[in-house]
Amino acid sequence: MTGKIKKCPLFFLLALSSLLFMGSGILKNKPPWALEQAELPPVSLKPAERPGGLSLGNSLWGKLQGISPSPEETEGNAKADIPPAVEPPPARDFVTVGEDYFDNAVFIGDSRTQGLLEYGHLENRADFLCKVSLTIYDFATDPFIRDEASGQNITVEEALGRKQYGKVYIMVGINELGTGTTETFLEAYRAVVNRIRELQPDALIFVEGIMRVTGAKSESDPIYNNANINDKNNAISTLADGEGIFYIDVNEAVCDEAGNLHGEYTTDDVHLKARYYEIWKTFLMEHGI
Amino acid sequence: MMLFSGLKFLFCFFPAFLAAYYCTPKKYRNLTLLLGSLLFYLLTEPVFAALLLFMVFLNYGIARQISRLPRERRARRFWLFLGVLVNAGLLAAFKALVSLSDSLWLPLGLSFYLFKMLSFLADIYRGEISQMPSFLNSATYFTMFPQITSGPVMRYREGAFSPSGRACSPEMAEEGTRLFVLGLALKILLADRLLLLWQDIHTIGYESISTPLSWLGAGAYSMRLYFDFWGYSLMSSGICVMLGLPFIRNFQHPYASRSIREFWRRWHMTLGSFFRDYVYIPLGGSRKGTWRTMGNLFFVWILTGFWHGEGIHFILWGLGIFCFLLLEKFLIRNRLESHPFLARFYVLLVISVTWVIFAIPDREELFLYLGRMFPFMGGNGGISVNPRDFVKFLRLYGHYLALGVLACIPAVSAFYERHKKHPLTTAALAVIFWLCVYCVIHMGSNPFAYLKF
Repeated sequence: MTGKIKKCPLFFLLALSSLLFMGSGILKNKPPWALEQAELPPVSLKPAERPGGLSLGNSLWGKLQGISPSPEETEGNAKADIPPAVEPPPARDFVTVGEDYFDNAVFIGDSRTQGLLEYGHLENRADFLCKVSLTIYDFATDPFIRDEASGQNITVEEALGRKQYGKVYIMVGINELGTGTTETFLEAYRAVVNRIRELQPDALIFVEGIMRVTGAKSESDPIYNNANINDKNNAISTLADGEGIFYIDVNEAVCDEAGNLHGEYTTDDVHLKARYYEIWKTFLMEHGI
Repeated sequence: MMLFSGLKFLFCFFPAFLAAYYCTPKKYRNLTLLLGSLLFYLLTEPVFAALLLFMVFLNYGIARQISRLPRERRARRFWLFLGVLVNAGLLAAFKALVSLSDSLWLPLGLSFYLFKMLSFLADIYRGEISQMPSFLNSATYFTMFPQITSGPVMRYREGAFSPSGRACSPEMAEEGTRLFVLGLALKILLADRLLLLWQDIHTIGYESISTPLSWLGAGAYSMRLYFDFWGYSLMSSGICVMLGLPFIRNFQHPYASRSIREFWRRWHMTLGSFFRDYVYIPLGGSRKGTWRTMGNLFFVWILTGFWHGEGIHFILWGLGIFCFLLLEKFLIRNRLESHPFLARFYVLLVISVTWVIFAIPDREELFLYLGRMFPFMGGNGGISVNPRDFVKFLRLYGHYLALGVLACIPAVSAFYERHKKHPLTTAALAVIFWLCVYCVIHMGSNPFAYLKF
């Protein structure tokens, strides 16, 4: 027997470790063969979840799961709740602005905002604090931004503490669709908006509605569908106060009559094709304050 | 669906099968292999399992008829003709029906098992299989699970299909395991990652990619296709070797070739030699004059194109390769031979362009992509191109591309061959295996690219 093991060490090593792996799995009631993902996972939003997907990179490290913060953290962020105004101020109208409007703007977001950075031709005007699969829960916990001055990696929250902006745009939420409920999402979002208000007292905050997916995707996906997105958008739209915080919804510009992301604008049902980021930018320019 | 790289196969079917196989007395191992293979097929493709069984019986019956008749009888020809007609007809009919209907699909491994059956009939007819094999041995050869999904198209006489001639040693179990792990790594750690680059380019839209990115994409796709299929082939052959069957080589460093002709002798070798031995040479090969040779080549490449799919781009792809083969045969062979470095560069350039044609089914999209690759040849200027996009992709995928390039170099393989028995190599392979399992659990895996043929 020992002779045989010497002749085929790798075979025995793998056989033995596989047996252990299978055994421990069965004991935990999770046999390895049950761990297999759906054979053709739907094209999802996070690279890590796509078929065979993993997108590695320093600033674009795709997380496997959107991690919900503990309640303490959320409350910690929410402690500076702004008391509601006694009388709501008159709503301000949107006006059309030029590109220089974005000279003192910052964009916070996930892969879609990353696309706006790469193909919206605003990279020389605005700052972009975005990465693939960023969620609202990562605001104060994920140090993915390289701060050139200090050489440190910092979170979005820290970045907003180091530079003052005139406008803060934020679009996240699609990666969170599978996590928590609309209420928990709204609470986390509210906490982030309040924190931004605290860090950027003079900035206009634009809460951007989550861009929808195509009808094909929406009908076939139990999580990443437009009913779910609309639900979240309705919730976060209530954060607008018409004075310093505004809700804008790019879906007005990129969706068809049925309210789904236009099939022509995308190849993966979720992200705009590069040439159509112009539509988003134009929409933003038509919604200046 | 049970993939070699899936957890159901790795931790359920295969260990159970291997234990049963090794415990079976040598004499009855074919029976275990046959039953295991039928179970594998039934679990993977339950709908068409009966078709496989029917074709096994039918082809064995025809082969028997051929082998019984004396060589000079014309009836042998009739039976061979019938066999070719039935097998090729079934394949063609399925391919045609699948392209017309949305609800029908190609039975798993159909072309691969039909090719085996065709080669079996032809070899019996030509007397290359001298003695009519038993039903059990033939059925095992036709259906064996390591090869049923995507080949390699092994010949009957290449394998030790009579159990008495099959040696199963610890060394073979070890070598088979090594091959399997290497194949798994190529598939999971390289092919599946590189596919993402290709998918990202698709998300951007071909009209908006920079020319360097279009070439990076072509390179990534070329490598992805290679590692996907080479990986599968190594896993398949690894299993065969573990079972005591010979190693069937399907790839031999194709990207180190110095001509397109050489490339196609090193890429999917069992398919190439199948077409050579059972189509090209019976048509006369290159023995009947220049025009006939050109005609035969043309026929083989149109057939290869059609075999890959009904899309017009596959025909275009086959035609493109045919043109380069002609060019080499009649014009530039000598020049290629005297400039090995340039020749390699030429092969990589041409092959990556042919793979782009292979990859993009939509004609408009295909021309958009080619236009970005060759903007100076009347291609479009692109829309919303980010000229530095390739930098981002190099940062994201550079290490996979670098590993891929290494895996394409013959000297790296030779280095591995020299040191494969070293304890450090063994440890590394064990780590790689578990890394692959980790990736499969957490990221899922793509079905092999060649499953749909």
